[in-house]
Amino acid sequence: MSRNFSLRENWRIVLLVLIVLGSAVSIFAPVGNGGSAQNATVENASESATAGPTNLQFGLELSGGTRIRAPLVGMTAEDVGFNGSDPQGQAKLERALTNELSLSPQDVRVQPTSQNSGTVEVFNENVTQEEFARALQNQGKDVQTDDIRDGVTDKTLETAEGVLDRKVTGAGLSGGEVSISRSTTGDEAFIVVEVPNKQPEEVVDLIDERGTVLVVAHFPVEQNGTKTYRNVQLFTQEGIKSVDPADQPRGGRPGVPITLKQDAAKNFSNAMREFGFLSQPPCTYAANKNDSGHCLYTVSNGKVVNGTITKGEIVSAASMGDLSTKMKRGDFVDDPRFRITSANLSEAQNLALDMRAGALPTTLNIDEGTSTYIQPSLAEKFKLLSLVTGLFTMLAVAGTVAYRYREPRIAVPMVVTAAAEVFILLGFSAAIGLAIDLSHIAGFIAVIGTGVDDLVIIADEILQQGDVSTNRVFRSRFRKAFWVIGAAAATTIVAMLPLAALSLGDLQGFALITIVGVLVGVLITRPAYGDVIRNLVLD
Amino acid sequence: MTDFEVPDVEYSRYTNRQLAAIPLAVLAVALLIIAGWYVVTGVPVTPGIDFTGGTELQISASDSPDQIEQTFESQLPYEVDSVVESGDSYIVTIQATEQSEVNEIMNTAEEEGYTVQSAQTRSAAFSTDAQRQALIGVAVAFVGMSVLTFVLFRTFVPSIAIVVSAFSDIMIPVALMNVFGIPLSLGTVAALLMLIGYSVDSDILLNNSILRRRGDFYESTYRARRTGVTMTLTSIVAMVVMTIFSSPLVFGIPLLPDIGLILVFGLTADLMNTYLLNVSLLRYYKYEGVAG
Repeated sequence: MSRNFSLRENWRIVLLVLIVLGSAVSIFAPVGNGGSAQNATVENASESATAGPTNLQFGLELSGGTRIRAPLVGMTAEDVGFNGSDPQGQAKLERALTNELSLSPQDVRVQPTSQNSGTVEVFNENVTQEEFARALQNQGKDVQTDDIRDGVTDKTLETAEGVLDRKVTGAGLSGGEVSISRSTTGDEAFIVVEVPNKQPEEVVDLIDERGTVLVVAHFPVEQNGTKTYRNVQLFTQEGIKSVDPADQPRGGRPGVPITLKQDAAKNFSNAMREFGFLSQPPCTYAANKNDSGHCLYTVSNGKVVNGTITKGEIVSAASMGDLSTKMKRGDFVDDPRFRITSANLSEAQNLALDMRAGALPTTLNIDEGTSTYIQPSLAEKFKLLSLVTGLFTMLAVAGTVAYRYREPRIAVPMVVTAAAEVFILLGFSAAIGLAIDLSHIAGFIAVIGTGVDDLVIIADEILQQGDVSTNRVFRSRFRKAFWVIGAAAATTIVAMLPLAALSLGDLQGFALITIVGVLVGVLITRPAYGDVIRNLVLD
Repeated sequence: MTDFEVPDVEYSRYTNRQLAAIPLAVLAVALLIIAGWYVVTGVPVTPGIDFTGGTELQISASDSPDQIEQTFESQLPYEVDSVVESGDSYIVTIQATEQSEVNEIMNTAEEEGYTVQSAQTRSAAFSTDAQRQALIGVAVAFVGMSVLTFVLFRTFVPSIAIVVSAFSDIMIPVALMNVFGIPLSLGTVAALLMLIGYSVDSDILLNNSILRRRGDFYESTYRARRTGVTMTLTSIVAMVVMTIFSSPLVFGIPLLPDIGLILVFGLTADLMNTYLLNVSLLRYYKYEGVAG
């Protein structure tokens, strides 16, 4: 090449080489993920090998497993007027709405967003927007049906994301991931749950219930001379401070030891006193379900509406036992430890998982979403085969360019530059931890195509008839070529932006890679190729 | 340096009308096909499960497609839309969108000794929404491209030439999708959007060469054409190779063949549109339209 290669004149090539090296580091350098790097001082080679030879992360389509994407059930009234710094007033509004709409306490949520207003959400499919608006109007709120939108607030979405994440992790589904997918227009949001190596049925079983754990007081009351049973919700997971692992003491029943928060403990204790639990005979649920006396029910995924348990499963019915004495002495509030029993150990473990993960603020509407399952072996096959497809595409492009220019000095750098572009994109993906899916692969291949197109423009413009004798001529020609490339890049980006912005899921990756690819091309690789050509022609 | 064997069009021998006639006729046929499709089926192009909702299973089985269809229909209350061979497995499309139905289908498949390699379900609600979004996406991309083109060239005829040519580049593949029975999927929508970006490259090159450079019209056209044809052919070669290797006949990778094939159609249409339609409009602008 040139006899005196000046770093200053060829800084674009130098920059390209540096960025390619950086990408290589990002792709191949062993990265300690979490604690494993520190622990693995002895055998770090074999440790990192288990994760594959690169830092690239692959999405579901290339690694296998299940992805469920679903919206949350619910509707929201925004900017409802109420005192934002009055939690008691908010709780009162919640209770009023709960009663009026015949819902359980978990189905209504009032949240302040400013001093004098906030959002009100209802998480129940059976309530219409009209009914919701009317109930709010009856509470003196100025809300019309049109003010109510489908969907939940960001806070609710984030709560749901956190709960699901704890559930997936807690259930030992390694590699499982939960995220929120939003359209940039903001009117649509989905929860996305991805679990490697599992079939949809297992994942759905884990996430399709809210996972509410209710402890309910079940007791008889006399009304006009007849005995009826009432149910009063005592506390949910939210009242629980800590949860110990489920266990089964020798000779005892399986259960989960928990510690309540002070507020919940106080409420619990007061309610027990008020409902007469402290002086009653033990619960006889096992012998006589319909007339069991005073019992503490643990209800999973249930709801209590107007004194009746309308949904869910009673996992255990227990007597007060030692609790009575403790509450009588007044010790309970200071030492609010308590044991929730259940029929068998696996149920106890499920309870513990639900209590730790917390309850979902609302149900996932799985039937209005999408589910994708890919067998891990098929996904592995896709990974290998799409790599091969990419390589063949690259070869075909190289062949075409070689045939067109018949001049290795022009064609070889062209192909190498285009390959560098893809390599940089891979480095970018590894660096930001992008999970590569088929749509990204399509994007990579598309980038080879557009990349070479632009290099052809540069080569043809600079090599047109008439010698490029000086740097000045070169620069003017390069600038002309660059105008076309820049304009073409701008149109590609404009065409891809809607795809990157919409929540079409699978295609966001394709659009993202294409846009980043075009930017890398215009800013880094194509100017560098210009320098390469200059070295050739000015020699 | 040798050239591709590009048929050397002697532009000067043909009038603008003659040059534009072929691409406009092809566009008219494409629009007729789309309109006819709309009249007969109620949609301009047949939507796939991405836009209608449904379940798609990929299974490996020793049964024939007919047997598979019969097995599913006799065991389950859902209608089987199609069973298509893909490599050494089959792709079965079933009209069922609820998660419980999908579990039922997967369990049935496994009871019948089929191995479920992949399963995808899209609910009707999600799909209707996807359809609306995809339509908005294509429209926004097209309008955005058009606006950008007008900003770049600031003259009506050359800008509209690019817009018309890009419009045709999208309509011809859509018509061909109907002809070849390719359903509209998220992948094909992405390819159509990609075409907006891809196809405009050679148009911009041509416009730039003719409008912004000194020199004779035919010489500028020749130069732009030499570069532009290389670009488009390279892209076509890349996409043909990608389509062939990822097709059900060879590797059976989803998504890639859809994107590849649509791009091949569109880029081929673009060769015709750029070097016949666009050239004739630019020549009209250069020699006759300037006064107006």
